[in-house]
Amino acid sequence: MLRQKVVIVRSLAVAAAATLTIGLSACAQEEGGGAAGGEGSLSEVRLALVPGGAHPYFQPWQQAGKDAQTDFGLAGVTFNETGGWDQSKQNDVINSLVANGYNAFGIFGVSPTDINSTFKMLKGSGIATASIASCPAGETNEADFCLSTDVEIAAYTAAQAAIEAMGGSGVLVHLTGNNVDSNTQRRIEGVKKAVDETDGAVTVLPDVTDIDKDLTTAQKAVADLLAAQGSQINGIVSTAYNPSVAAATAVADSKLDIKLVAIDDDETILTAIKEGSVYATVAQNPVGQAYVGSWALAQLASKACTVKQPGVVVDSGSFLVTKDNVATYDDERQAASKKLKSLFSDSLLNCK
Amino acid sequence: MTSTLKSGSSAHLQAGALRRFVATPSFFLLVIIFVLVIVLGSIKPAFFNGPFVIAPLLTGISIFTVVGLSQMVVLSIGHMNLAVGPMAAFGAMFMGLSYELWDLPLVLGLALGILAGAAMGALSGWLVARTGVNSFIVTLAMSFALIGLVPTVYSWLSAGSAFTVKPDGLDEIGRSSFSAICVNGACGSNAIPLIVIPALGVMLLIGYLYSHTRLGRELLMTGSNVDAAQLSGIPTGRRIVLVHSLSGALAALAGFLLAASTGSFTPGIGQEFMLQSFVGPILGGTLLAGGYVSVTGTLLGITLTLVIRKGLDLFGVGLETLNVLLGVILLIALSSDQIRLFFGRRRTRRPAQVDRTSPPPGPKLAQPSVPEEISA
Repeated sequence: MLRQKVVIVRSLAVAAAATLTIGLSACAQEEGGGAAGGEGSLSEVRLALVPGGAHPYFQPWQQAGKDAQTDFGLAGVTFNETGGWDQSKQNDVINSLVANGYNAFGIFGVSPTDINSTFKMLKGSGIATASIASCPAGETNEADFCLSTDVEIAAYTAAQAAIEAMGGSGVLVHLTGNNVDSNTQRRIEGVKKAVDETDGAVTVLPDVTDIDKDLTTAQKAVADLLAAQGSQINGIVSTAYNPSVAAATAVADSKLDIKLVAIDDDETILTAIKEGSVYATVAQNPVGQAYVGSWALAQLASKACTVKQPGVVVDSGSFLVTKDNVATYDDERQAASKKLKSLFSDSLLNCK
Repeated sequence: MTSTLKSGSSAHLQAGALRRFVATPSFFLLVIIFVLVIVLGSIKPAFFNGPFVIAPLLTGISIFTVVGLSQMVVLSIGHMNLAVGPMAAFGAMFMGLSYELWDLPLVLGLALGILAGAAMGALSGWLVARTGVNSFIVTLAMSFALIGLVPTVYSWLSAGSAFTVKPDGLDEIGRSSFSAICVNGACGSNAIPLIVIPALGVMLLIGYLYSHTRLGRELLMTGSNVDAAQLSGIPTGRRIVLVHSLSGALAALAGFLLAASTGSFTPGIGQEFMLQSFVGPILGGTLLAGGYVSVTGTLLGITLTLVIRKGLDLFGVGLETLNVLLGVILLIALSSDQIRLFFGRRRTRRPAQVDRTSPPPGPKLAQPSVPEEISA
């Protein structure tokens, strides 16, 4: 028993000593670390684009980041999707990037209710910070700005299009993502608002949530839905990427007369729109978010500009794509991105 | 002469204890961590950045050590708790409710959440003890039930599926460091977060329970041989309920620490807990089959995995590579432990002692768990 005590006490003592040693080492090093901003040119800006985790929506960010680096002459751009859809892990990734000298961050926060704490910490260290593709929950945005699709408006537009395709009446289903995400709750609100406007002509089945984890999960959920209730459903509105792709294939294969309005512009969805099995999709603007966001962040990080209204929320746009404009919608989107950049330079930033 | 003998005996005892400590998985983990820290720090000096690397690392270690201890206490009796994460979310949900809807102060809300977690754990333990159903099954079922219940309650009672009201002190526990504490103008390091304090407190309490109390010995006895424990007069059914309650309470505390560090109480709390809850104790030498635990080992097991992850983060390793490397490094760490035991046995050339103070026999680490089924 005595030996056991000795071992345990020693083990704890060694662990405490190790912690203290690391702490003291850190204390000695901390002065040289971090990435506090200083006035300089764009060539001193190291930009990190940090999605919440791996997801097809964010893949265009990689090329947009590279383009931004070349076009604006940034010192470096990195794309890091190792956050694993966990706010703690994403915070770890961000902290590591700061320690590596990155001084501008475009972040899709995993938890909209928590990400403000991260923004506050970054801004407190003099780092340019933007919330990209999703804004923090509530009225406050601690980042310099938020550049995102207004998810409630996008969901409302998609639901309206689905109801129109259904002929103004019938049964609608809403497929969406993570139920515990406040943005999902806003999407649900957007769909509900469009349904409420029909005065009962359209009824909505219980929302099918948590199926945006991956394509397999979405495919299984959509197959189960169509097998169980396919004959009663007149319309489907999907406000998440993977369910949209899954539903586009499943509805076409089922030969059921279901009007589907999807979200985003995966090739599967665009092909289905051309073939007529999908009525429409609401495309977002991930390239514009990353490219224009990178430019604005670079201006802030180099101290060339400041934000007139810190925390300003900017809608990056959503575009209803039907058979009529499927070939040309990207031109519309690129034009919107140019306008966004002008909006930043002319109205949202104060530049020297 | 007597004093010389006493002194010699004391020195011999200390040397024996040292040899024993050197033979433990904890010592081995400590060496690996030390080497890793030196190597990582040499290649990437940013590894020693206080506020952006060391402090977040210590925050993670603190939270996941409590998670690991939550699993370790049930492993001590040869059971497991697959609902560690959902119990953390359940306890944290009560804390969020306390602060947002009932306006309770920090400590009362914390106590209520821990009680809620303990009650959920007690229910699991009672079901295991009463029905004799394997703890794997009971806690798996509990996990599913809570995964459904917690988000439902959040969607009923909160706007945006989160409780965001922060009572006084929550931010300080979760996000402040010792730099906020100044005495006579001298402040602490911003590399050490305050969250290490509750984690160290819990480690000391659990360590004390298993090393200094009769109850702790009874729990280990129950894990070693439940029949022998029953024949010795240990109320094994009640001990099962107790450890599951303790596991639930610790899970709830871990949920609180995570919420304090990230900023709000959400149903997503605990989603990442299950794997870490097993990795920490098992790397640290706790036996899946019960009967041996190591609090320090759990801390070091968690530390090793988080140091590896932090190192890979700093090197900007991609997602797939990161997961592969994490798996390979953990496998090497576990295998190295077996090699160490092999050479240790050859060196001593004597049978391994089987007592509470010796490290667990190597092969048992790799054995699958066969939890005991006990009737109350």
